[in-house]
Amino acid sequence: MSKKQLSAVFVKMGDKVPTTKYDPNVNQDELIMKQQRLIEKEIMDSIPLVGDKEDFSSLEGEYDGDDIYKQKVKNLAKNYKYIRRTRPDGNCFFRAFSYAYLEKLIDDREEFNRFRELAAKSKENLVALGFPQFTVEDFHDTFMEVIDQVGKHHSVLSPGAPAGEDLHKVFNDQGNSDYVVVYLRLITSGQLQRDSSFYQHFIEGARSVEDFCHQEVEPMYKESDHIHIIALSTALGVGVRVRYMDRGDSAEVIAHDFPEGSLPQVHLLYRPGHYDILYPH
Amino acid sequence: MFEGNMETKTTYNPRSPAVKRLMREAVELREPAEEYYVQPLEDNLFEWHFTIHGPPSTEFEGGIYHGRIVLPSEYPMKPPNIIILTPNGRFETNKNICLSISGHHPETWQPSWSIRTALLALIAFMPTPGNGMIGALDYTVEERKALARRSHSWQCPVCGNISNLFRKRSKSSLCIDESMMNKIVNKDEIREKTGREELEGQTDAQNSELKKSKDSSELKEAVEAGQESNQSRHVVEDSLKVK
Repeated sequence: MSKKQLSAVFVKMGDKVPTTKYDPNVNQDELIMKQQRLIEKEIMDSIPLVGDKEDFSSLEGEYDGDDIYKQKVKNLAKNYKYIRRTRPDGNCFFRAFSYAYLEKLIDDREEFNRFRELAAKSKENLVALGFPQFTVEDFHDTFMEVIDQVGKHHSVLSPGAPAGEDLHKVFNDQGNSDYVVVYLRLITSGQLQRDSSFYQHFIEGARSVEDFCHQEVEPMYKESDHIHIIALSTALGVGVRVRYMDRGDSAEVIAHDFPEGSLPQVHLLYRPGHYDILYPH
Repeated sequence: MFEGNMETKTTYNPRSPAVKRLMREAVELREPAEEYYVQPLEDNLFEWHFTIHGPPSTEFEGGIYHGRIVLPSEYPMKPPNIIILTPNGRFETNKNICLSISGHHPETWQPSWSIRTALLALIAFMPTPGNGMIGALDYTVEERKALARRSHSWQCPVCGNISNLFRKRSKSSLCIDESMMNKIVNKDEIREKTGREELEGQTDAQNSELKKSKDSSELKEAVEAGQESNQSRHVVEDSLKVK
């Protein structure tokens, strides 16, 4: 058996629950988990974590025969030239946001330097807030590696592929891509807890900010709402413009800037339950 | 298949965050702690075997329980699967244990938790009522005590005699984790313990306080999240409030 095959076997062993060695009985939970995996696999196989830049016309094509949406896409096309789709796995806001922002940093050395400094310090802030140091460090290390990969292209002497290609590769590698998402979720949670008296107003029901973070922010695959976007954009000092496209009457696609009044550096398209990246003209 | 350990180890992709993370955890957990010892199998980084001491002042006191932790390839994005092998009267053996920190609840798992968090939660849950949850057993106190005694002669097909696993460790003077455990598990114990802790040296006490507060907040999350059983949740919550 080749090394490659062998490593595939080990990954599979890690995946299998539990191995037949100890438990010959098949139980119901496993069947449910198997089915869930199958659905996830279908999405994984058909949609990349972050797709290629597509011309805006590809969005128009999605809405043949749907006049309300068609009109909205047309309006949007006045402001935007390209769209880049992300996989709908509940992490799409974090993934779209970080991809779009880091892509922008490739050409903006000053902003890159500001952000790198902030990112480097962020770990200590999280540990001070009570996040477990051991695991925060693990995510932070990978996060900084990804940032530094963008930064290395600022050096004239840097060899290798164009920066955009490198970034695209990192974000489509599930392991690294998810590590970036986790770290941004931690930063978001940290911001919410640091300023909990403010964010408490946004949370419905009797949940505390801390509970909300543990249930809706820190676990993977949990979808993002306004509150996540406000907290993350505030924590990083990065303006985000979200275009909300829904079935509402107005022909315009409403724009919201986070934090309010900021200059947008990242543009996202929101359609119920999902975020993609937009590129202005 | 017969390439030897050295060969197989090199087949892991060292750039994979799961592999990096598990190797880090293996180093962090190399030394047995007072109430648990856990390490990956020599030939499979994605399967670990653990041994835990039954929590003191419970019917599990004195028992030694062994089990497996099977990590999904997406770890730490997805939770570990915990399987206990030694008969104990609280969890069914050879079955995935249903805890908020285990594979049954991927929706409540947090990637910033670790194998250590999962084991501490498992120990904390042993004395809580099973309440008919999947894989839970409600044996009587006597039955559990008998199983605790018998556990010392239990053999793991891979690790051998489990009661030897802890002996490698030299006794340390103060066990931070043990006192933390007691806070979570048993209220009455705390009152006795507090007195004892005050006698410890100033620096030691300060350090352990610092560590304890972090540990318990991390564990509190793990224990609280997604716990369906209200009763056991309250037991754990109440004892956590006593700080």
